[in-house]
Amino acid sequence: MMIDYAWLIPVFPIIGFLIISLVPKKWLIWEGGAPYIIGMSTASFVLSILVIIDVLNGHTLTGPDSPRMTWLSAGSFELTFGIWIDQLTAVMLLVVSLVGTLVVIYSVGYMHGEGETKRRYYAEIALFIGVMFGLVLADNFVEMFIFWELVGLCSYLLIGFWKHKPSAASAAKRAFIVTRVGDIMLLSGLIILLRYVGTLDFSELFAEGSLEGSGMSSGMATLSMILLFGGAIGKSAQFPLHEWLPDAMEGPTTVSALIHAATMVKAGVYLVARSYPMLVQTPDALAFIAIIGGITALIAATNALVAVDIKRVLAYSTISQLGYMMLALGAGGLIITGLMHDGGHDGLGAGYSSGIFHMMNHAFFKALLFLAAGSVIHAVGTNDMLKMGGLGKTMKITSITMLIGSLSIAGIPPFSGFWSKDEVLASTFHAFEDAGSYSTVFLILWIMGVATAFMTAFYMFRMWFMTFTGKQRSDAHAHESPVSMTVPLMILASLAAVSGFAFFIGRGFFSFMSDSISSTIGSSVAVEAIHPLESLGEIFTSPLTYASLIVSAVGLFTAYSIYYKGAFSVSRLASGVTGKLQKLLAERYYISWFYDAFAYNIIYGISLVADIFDRYVIDGAINGMAWLSSKSGAFIRRSQTGQVQNYVAAIVIGGCLLLLFLIVFEWGEW
Amino acid sequence: MAETATAAEYFGVLMPQILLLIFALLCPALDLWLKMRRGIAYWVIIGLTIVGVMEILALIPETQNLVPFLFWEQPPETSIFAVNAFSMVFTVVFVFVGALVAFVSPDYIKRERNHGEYYALLLIAVTGMSFVATAGDLIVIFLGLEIAGISSYALTGFQKSVKRSTEAAMKYFIVGGFSSAISLFGMSLLYGAGGTTNLTELGAMGAEYGPIVLLGIAMLIIGLGFKIAAVPFHMWAPDVYEGAPTSITALLAAASKKMGIAALFKIFIVALLAYKAQWDLAIGIIAILTMTVGNLVAIQQNSVKRMLAYSSIAQAGYILIALPVWAVYDPSSPELVRISEYAVAGGILHVITHAAMKSGAFFVILALTVRGFGENLKDFDGLSKRAPFLALAMAIFVLSLAGIPPLAGFYSKFVLFSAAIFGSSEPGGASWLVWLAIAGILNSALSLFYYARIIKSMYIHNPQSQDRIKVPPLIQAAIVIAMIVTVFIGLYPEPFLEGALEAARALNGLLPIG
Repeated sequence: MMIDYAWLIPVFPIIGFLIISLVPKKWLIWEGGAPYIIGMSTASFVLSILVIIDVLNGHTLTGPDSPRMTWLSAGSFELTFGIWIDQLTAVMLLVVSLVGTLVVIYSVGYMHGEGETKRRYYAEIALFIGVMFGLVLADNFVEMFIFWELVGLCSYLLIGFWKHKPSAASAAKRAFIVTRVGDIMLLSGLIILLRYVGTLDFSELFAEGSLEGSGMSSGMATLSMILLFGGAIGKSAQFPLHEWLPDAMEGPTTVSALIHAATMVKAGVYLVARSYPMLVQTPDALAFIAIIGGITALIAATNALVAVDIKRVLAYSTISQLGYMMLALGAGGLIITGLMHDGGHDGLGAGYSSGIFHMMNHAFFKALLFLAAGSVIHAVGTNDMLKMGGLGKTMKITSITMLIGSLSIAGIPPFSGFWSKDEVLASTFHAFEDAGSYSTVFLILWIMGVATAFMTAFYMFRMWFMTFTGKQRSDAHAHESPVSMTVPLMILASLAAVSGFAFFIGRGFFSFMSDSISSTIGSSVAVEAIHPLESLGEIFTSPLTYASLIVSAVGLFTAYSIYYKGAFSVSRLASGVTGKLQKLLAERYYISWFYDAFAYNIIYGISLVADIFDRYVIDGAINGMAWLSSKSGAFIRRSQTGQVQNYVAAIVIGGCLLLLFLIVFEWGEW
Repeated sequence: MAETATAAEYFGVLMPQILLLIFALLCPALDLWLKMRRGIAYWVIIGLTIVGVMEILALIPETQNLVPFLFWEQPPETSIFAVNAFSMVFTVVFVFVGALVAFVSPDYIKRERNHGEYYALLLIAVTGMSFVATAGDLIVIFLGLEIAGISSYALTGFQKSVKRSTEAAMKYFIVGGFSSAISLFGMSLLYGAGGTTNLTELGAMGAEYGPIVLLGIAMLIIGLGFKIAAVPFHMWAPDVYEGAPTSITALLAAASKKMGIAALFKIFIVALLAYKAQWDLAIGIIAILTMTVGNLVAIQQNSVKRMLAYSSIAQAGYILIALPVWAVYDPSSPELVRISEYAVAGGILHVITHAAMKSGAFFVILALTVRGFGENLKDFDGLSKRAPFLALAMAIFVLSLAGIPPLAGFYSKFVLFSAAIFGSSEPGGASWLVWLAIAGILNSALSLFYYARIIKSMYIHNPQSQDRIKVPPLIQAAIVIAMIVTVFIGLYPEPFLEGALEAARALNGLLPIG
């Protein structure tokens, strides 16, 4: 079965990376070696599809029997590399391989003018895709953490791809440092788990009651899970560590597409979904996840309202949508926790499944939106929406595909975003009904979610109308992008349009994902699958659906009347209270400012002290040691006379000393 | 039982050594009759590869039955050979280094005469080394040491027209002869005490022969300490390594020294089992002295070749850690037995990794010599611009020697030091062993100082000219192989550690039972 060869999926792109970085320049054929990377990522894509077919047929590789090899061992301690494939992995494989491949193909057109540096670009992209595959296939947290860090490294390299631009260099550093804060939390969480449970293998950590069974207090268990989620806060740009993502726009747009849709930020969502069997043992951590998710969704959406950089709008929308995913995962987990104590219920996996569902749909429409934005930027040479406008006429494919993406993210049926966003909100509402002590929190979170839905529709169409309609505001001669760019756009647009139908095709996405939870959470909670058509009926009879639909429609219409009809001039809001509000949003709630102030004053102060200590105490000691070593080396060296007589004499003297030592210290043994 | 051992059975288990000798004896013929030059090197490589493949097949359980003759039953009590995983692993190392030396030699010695003798001596040296690894008896160990030793003296002086080379050979010969005599004396004292030269039977002797064996221990430490260049018996090494043709320097550092380690392991672990409480501290102190002196003096060197010679001394110090840690061995405690095996496995793993990284580093110097460069640090200035591949390879080798992950040297040092820590913390172990780990770690930090100087020269300093340096393909191939091994062991050490553990278990298997 193909699933047994799944380990090859990350190997292909990494081979591509090695080829591009090691072979002589003349072997790179064309476009800085792009054909190798396209071939390798396509191979991974085909293999991923074959593996997914196996998973659809009910084959998984989980538990202690999953294939693994010992990587290194020291005494009784062992590090293994293994493969873990379940339904969740299958979804991730689809997303990463498909979006990754399309991004690489698109790059051929987009990066055409880059010259010599293309080689570095393709090498890094290939590594990025390869290590992301490694991350989703890992079967223990050590392996996952290694790939997790490599993903961080690759994003650093790619965000700072145009290293000659100071803004790109600093954005790359910022992404690296901010996510590092999350990584340290993740590592601390893992260390706690290792300390108590004694292993970081999924198969043991995901056993039922693994945390309590290890003698961890419930507070410690919650702490470890919140720290684990800390990794996701950094990687998936959740509040309050979300500020690196908008800055990460400094990289090439293809890189943004990859980071936002398939690789970097999805790793955090994957981490939370992967840790579900542990998270459901700690309800408080789940509530924390949901709250952070809700706050992030709302805050990022408000920031997107005023952004004028087309990529920044998309970046904030990504943060906001990631917040939705976290919200759904938290809410769904809490429902499961409640029911683990109170007995069975149907539709248990809804929160979990809707989070993953939204992640998958988001991958398609966000990749689409970014690549379309890239196409626009490629055409007009600026990111500033105020300088765009009227591009719909010259860039038909781009404008239509972007429209599909916008409709999808705004949650307009029948596009994909509608299905998953509706389910996210519905499971938040269910949590309000079921979550016991947290129910008021979830009511607030639900209201925040609905408000976010309104803003999403508004800012997305604000962007679309500002870009594609009205008068052209710059003198650039915009033209449609080359085929290698428009074809990926069209493929992604059709996916963004229809991927939501996975909800009710066949067994339905939710019952597919339910298998993943019921196999990992254990048999005591029977996750019953609902018939997809039944849930389809539920969607269209529930007032919740209409509520979220109406707010989206209102958001869209508001954007239409302001930015298309011009019924209301935005400039009137530029003063007074609304002006202040606008400034607050434009300054991103001063979060960045706060970090900078914090970093400059407090951290810098600490560093200054550390520097003095380092310079005088540590360096002094080191220099002293170096001086001593070098002097004593010189002294010993002088005994090396070159005279063979002296050498033999040294042997004799040394031998006598040795014998003396043996006699003095070992003689007494008899 | 002894009567049933037929000649064929001995021939079977000695097939690798016999093959090596056949290949060696034909080398002069190829030179004299067929007037081959480069061809002899290929011939040597073929012979060594056959033997290497044979031993590797024998090491892998799935393919063992492809070389059944290596496993022919031998009468245990009269056996003077012990063919097992230990001998196989060491033979693979010797053969590997020998083959790499054969790769680099044709371009390096092309101005010299008598190629046939050079390659024959090379093969005979490798044969002697593998005899030491295969020995089950003091006599065989001594013969192996002498076969390899005498061939190396001749090889060191191979460049007869170069004064430095002949001087080195002379020094090597004098100090070597002196040390051989001492170690032979030591062996005869063991024979006097135990009444046998068989290692296993010597191991069964009790602790009652104190004084005489103590003298024997001292003499064996001197004699074998010379072979591995342990302080204070090391002084010949820098002169000889620097004076010898660089290809032979690689052989001495990467293979000949490992032969000394094999002999040391065999004699001290198996034959001196009853006296392990007497030799452990002495060897521990020598280990610390060796690594410290080697590193300290290396810092002072301006000749990279000499610097690497001192670094070899230091590396032998790390390997010596294995012996005192092994001494926690106690058959009644499975955990202590495991630690003892782990320690020896660490030593063997370091033998393997050091063979790759040190020979690779010497080959880089050799490649530069072939192109008319000197061996001083300033000859490496700006190498990254003139020969990016050589610079990268050298950087990998020296970083691995310094023990930087994820390179091979990191992992083998890690096993050695962690073994010392395990040995000190386990109940029934010896708490002073932790000092070996501390000394090793501090020395690793110290060694980075001079390794980094090489990298700094290559990558930061400006080259004296911009011309590219072209490396002959065979030398390049040898460097690439050494580099692949260095990187691969670092990335995926598990099978190598497994092999080393297997060898360590085989060594423990020679111990007298009960």
